Amino acid sequence: MALNNDVRPEANELLASVAEQLKVPLAIIARQAELGVLQGRRGLADTPAAQVHGFDAATIATQADAALMLVDSYLLGLELLRTQTQLELEPVSVSSLLVDAAHDLHGFARQYGVTVDLDMAGRYGPVMSNARGLKAALLSLGFALVEAQATQASDLSESVGKKPARVLLAAHRTPHGIVAGMYGTNQAVSASAWRRAQALCGKARQPFAELGAGSAAGLFVADTILRSMESRLRVGRYLHAGGLAATLQPSQQLQLV
Amino acid sequence: MHVLLLEPNTLLAQTYTQALQQDGFSVAHAASAQTAVFAADKHQPDVVILELQLPEHSGLEFLHEFRSYPEWKDVPVIVHSMLPPTQTIQVEESLRRDLGVKALLYKPRTSLTQLLQTVREQTREIQNQSEKMA
Repeated sequence: MALNNDVRPEANELLASVAEQLKVPLAIIARQAELGVLQGRRGLADTPAAQVHGFDAATIATQADAALMLVDSYLLGLELLRTQTQLELEPVSVSSLLVDAAHDLHGFARQYGVTVDLDMAGRYGPVMSNARGLKAALLSLGFALVEAQATQASDLSESVGKKPARVLLAAHRTPHGIVAGMYGTNQAVSASAWRRAQALCGKARQPFAELGAGSAAGLFVADTILRSMESRLRVGRYLHAGGLAATLQPSQQLQLV
Repeated sequence: MHVLLLEPNTLLAQTYTQALQQDGFSVAHAASAQTAVFAADKHQPDVVILELQLPEHSGLEFLHEFRSYPEWKDVPVIVHSMLPPTQTIQVEESLRRDLGVKALLYKPRTSLTQLLQTVREQTREIQNQSEKMA
């Protein structure tokens, strides 16, 4: 799923229609599995959706929802690229969005044995962004980083003993604005690796091999959405953890903090 | 309480129907706007759950037709659609103001729990109103 503005328009149209169609089976899987979870809680073990012996319905539901979220964010990114439009900027509370994103990531991360922590250094007024776009970007980034953290943690545990994987969602103030990002304790992301990955997006099967084994699609989707909000994803460090973050401009509206 | 579910996908319809029935609702399912009008006539729904993307006639066409009957003008409608908010945002105000839509849910981001919660809120409101009138 390359988010590439240079590819032939019909290729993007084709990918968009595939992605649109994928939402249906993913929604079926997610909701069927959720129904199984609900029926399990109510003790309705003999109902069809609960009769998936040997499978963890909660894992299926969470993973399908994560895939659905990625496909949906991809479509949003593609639409923004195709129409060359910017998301409408509005005052957005970065703290509450990070809390929301941490909450949404929690179930997914737990399945991978990754802890999600929040760190807000100080109190912030609103930033100029788009709430839906920023949340989609944060979640796309988060799902990708959680997977990468889990892979790196299990790899490290093989060689040097168990090391807990952790993703830190954080915001801090800099002279350039409010930096909101996600950082991991295990990976060492360098700016040059991220630049190389961006250049390889859509051209290589594994453009960001330093981070993980997959296509790192979530990172490119997040970057595309952020670019439509006058921001971008950059490599950053926070509290001895490395990751990716975006700088957001404070809103000039009346602030209490 | 009767729910009319307009859902073109059979598997999703089965899942939503099962979840609603287990929550105590009786459900009539229709896969198209025309069938939905017949189903509404037969079952007299208390709440409608509506997908906007339907075969032949759209969910919007159904809604206009549905609201044209006086007995259904106050029936709460929950839009539960695959159409992304970037598209529904343009018609959201008119859906709420002119067509009495009570909630707009984006299907890929709405869990069963959230859907059931929204239906329960609407039925609770109906019960409160009928208690006030009694």
